[in-house]
Amino acid sequence: MLFGTLPWVSAADRQFRGPYIENDTMLVGLIPRSPEQMAAFYEARGFPREAIDRIRQTCFVTVHIENKSPDTIWLELDRWSFTSNGKPLPRLDAGYWNAQWDAIDLRQASRSTFGWTQLPPVRDLQPDEPVGGNLVFPGDTETLNIEARFRSGADRQGELITIGFGNIRCNRETQQP
Amino acid sequence: MNFLARVIACTLWLLLAPLAASAGDLPAGVMRVDGITAPALQLDDIDGKPYDLASTHGHWRFVHFWASWCGPCRREMPSIQKMVTRLGDTDLEIVLVNTAETEDEVFTFLAAVAPGLVPLLDSDGQVTEVWQPRGLPATFLVDPQGRIRYQALGGRAWEEPAYLIFLQGLEPATTATPAGNR
Repeated sequence: MLFGTLPWVSAADRQFRGPYIENDTMLVGLIPRSPEQMAAFYEARGFPREAIDRIRQTCFVTVHIENKSPDTIWLELDRWSFTSNGKPLPRLDAGYWNAQWDAIDLRQASRSTFGWTQLPPVRDLQPDEPVGGNLVFPGDTETLNIEARFRSGADRQGELITIGFGNIRCNRETQQP
Repeated sequence: MNFLARVIACTLWLLLAPLAASAGDLPAGVMRVDGITAPALQLDDIDGKPYDLASTHGHWRFVHFWASWCGPCRREMPSIQKMVTRLGDTDLEIVLVNTAETEDEVFTFLAAVAPGLVPLLDSDGQVTEVWQPRGLPATFLVDPQGRIRYQALGGRAWEEPAYLIFLQGLEPATTATPAGNR
């Protein structure tokens, strides 16, 4: 298992603004986002105040993954584990957000945009294929650990790749609007 | 085409053709699809003109889904603009579908990076959902019979020789009427 907080991974020659791991098989990187960043992003795309308020109350982490191997690698979020202070941490998934959007009758275009900014729950990453998107956690999360497990091979029977990121800090609001 | 231009074109072809063949005949990030029938695609363009993909049967179609907020999309769009220029008069219909953004957002973005391209507006994102791209950006290559034959994974440097040669080498269509963003 590889840990993203180890310093040796920073030798890669790409500009990644958060913890990341890169090896011959894949690149996995994280960028914790502040509520202000996320609010500004969605406000600029016409999201209403009610939606922005809900977004501000959560913790966004942007994930970038690239398959650098000649084989299929499976992104399957159900196989990942998220913990905080030694306890399982729930991920705010599409079901959670759909309920939020139903409650405020969010227009379809905004729902679509929000959906495309999330990390897909399942993807058969082909050689040279990147994927990116956000993972979202409850807003009272201070730090979290992520253990990402990837099966490989078209039949999912290849090597199991496990990558861990520890002590990822949820960026807090620096000032109230 | 004069003699000198023919010589240059032949020389470039001899130099660049091996690049296209170096990765199993497909450039990096392009994969074959099993030929499923392309979903319907009927949208208005940014000028309000209706467009129907079915009306362009007989041509290869480069169907590209994008949004201005998506970083890889922003990096890829200038490449598509260059690709269109470098391909010149070919039998390839360029179909750009913006996903769930407003006319103002689309206009502001494209005017800066690719002013020669005319996008379709999927204002509520529903057409994009039906096509089920693997993410944004996404490109499908639809054959003259309306079947999806290739899909590009993520953003690609379409103006580079390997991609240009691949696109120019698509099976010729039965007709060659210029259309769309060429």
